[in-house]
Amino acid sequence: MCLGIPGKIHSIRDDAGLTMGVVDFGGVRRDVCLQYVADEVAVGDYVIVHVGFAITRVDEEEAQRTFEILKEMSQLDELEWMADLVEKGKGAGETA
Amino acid sequence: MRYLAEYRDADIAKTLIARIKARATRQWTLMEVCGGQTHTIVRQGLDELLVGAVEMIHGPGCPVCVTPLEQIDKALAIAARPGVIFTSFGDMLRVPGSDCDLQQVRARGGDVKVVYSPLDALALAQRNPDKEVVFFAVGFETTAPANAMAVWRARDLGVSNFSVLVSHVTVPPAITAILDAPDNRVQGFLAAGHVCAVMGWEEYEPIAAKYKVPIIVTGFEPVDILEGISMAVAQLEDGRHEVENQYVRSVRRQGTPPARALVAKVFELANRQWRGIGEIPMSGLRLRPEFAAYDAEQKFGVAGLTVSEPAACKAGDVLTGRIKPPQCLAFGTACTPERPLGAPMVSTEGACSAYYNLARYRTAESTEVTP
Ligand code: SF4
Repeated sequence: MCLGIPGKIHSIRDDAGLTMGVVDFGGVRRDVCLQYVADEVAVGDYVIVHVGFAITRVDEEEAQRTFEILKEMSQLDELEWMADLVEKGKGAGETA
Repeated sequence: MRYLAEYRDADIAKTLIARIKARATRQWTLMEVCGGQTHTIVRQGLDELLVGAVEMIHGPGCPVCVTPLEQIDKALAIAARPGVIFTSFGDMLRVPGSDCDLQQVRARGGDVKVVYSPLDALALAQRNPDKEVVFFAVGFETTAPANAMAVWRARDLGVSNFSVLVSHVTVPPAITAILDAPDNRVQGFLAAGHVCAVMGWEEYEPIAAKYKVPIIVTGFEPVDILEGISMAVAQLEDGRHEVENQYVRSVRRQGTPPARALVAKVFELANRQWRGIGEIPMSGLRLRPEFAAYDAEQKFGVAGLTVSEPAACKAGDVLTGRIKPPQCLAFGTACTPERPLGAPMVSTEGACSAYYNLARYRTAESTEVTP
């Protein structure tokens, strides 16, 4: 929960006053709150995401490097079950 | 600018280790605060490679590990109630409470759901107006902005069947508590890069000055950590004690101001129990009084619950660096990742689980980064 996962912003939208977006994590897409970085990001930028919230912007190179390292550290379990959910068509980011 | 290939290059690690050893005129004692860093250090054997120059003590930076038993018991009590959907990050499900864990509560019929974001828990509350949805708001400064937003949004949107069980901890008071301990041996710290991405490092500056300890904001991969250690050793050898940033790439001195601002609006500082360590003054966050309606402890009347921790678990000594996990008598016998006695054995960020898995890592990855 503590290590952030880097991803690429795929789209940005306003959700009743909250800046939300879809972020792509190495192929797995998920809804992410972009409110805290709204002033400094655009579609295509990379952000570090903690528990569904973008906390800081990073450059692409750093994002990719961090992603590889997390994979190596097997710290991407969260993404794995997110991917599972997408496959099962539930997609909401929660599990029974 | 560095490239991935270069980062994973064992030669850089070797050069850094040689530089640290050449620079150290004695063995220095450093503490890494972040559980992710502990994981890397133990897994890559960095601590063993640095013997003679640096001893690494593993700090309390695993949020799962330091969540006190009484907060787990409160979670279990709330989760077992009819009409409640109890939501949590996945890491908390197997943390043992006094007599069971959240997974067992679920097996007995409790409605326990894992969510990825606290906003998912809020959405669940909106979809289930006839249920009470409770979110277990744990973690360091990295999860606080997310949890603050969920509460803020709940109030904005008028969602009254949502509440949070708060067990937030913050890093700087823990560093101060470690330095204040009469038997403290730590001479310098690697602060957690990701925590500082949110909070910046202004809070560390008075600590470095008062206690005369170098504090290096450090990333969590092998070369980051070695670079952080090298910077700390250079300061110690020069007699300097400053806050320096190794993890420059995404951390700014002021952190992420909008996130800090909302955390400060929703939460206030409070005394907090740390599992195995005890109460550290002003080391946690609790909801401000104006958000009392979202406080699960008040809603479910569990605020008064207190418990004592199992005597066999030496988590407190592990988390403050007095002992290394294998020195705990329960390590690998009464306590394993399959049947954990204490929280540091549960989470992959926990020191006990990192040591337990060491043999497996080393055999599986002997051809990788380990210099
Ligand atoms: S090995 Fe288990 S019992 Fe011993 S300190 Fe670690 S978590 Fe506690």
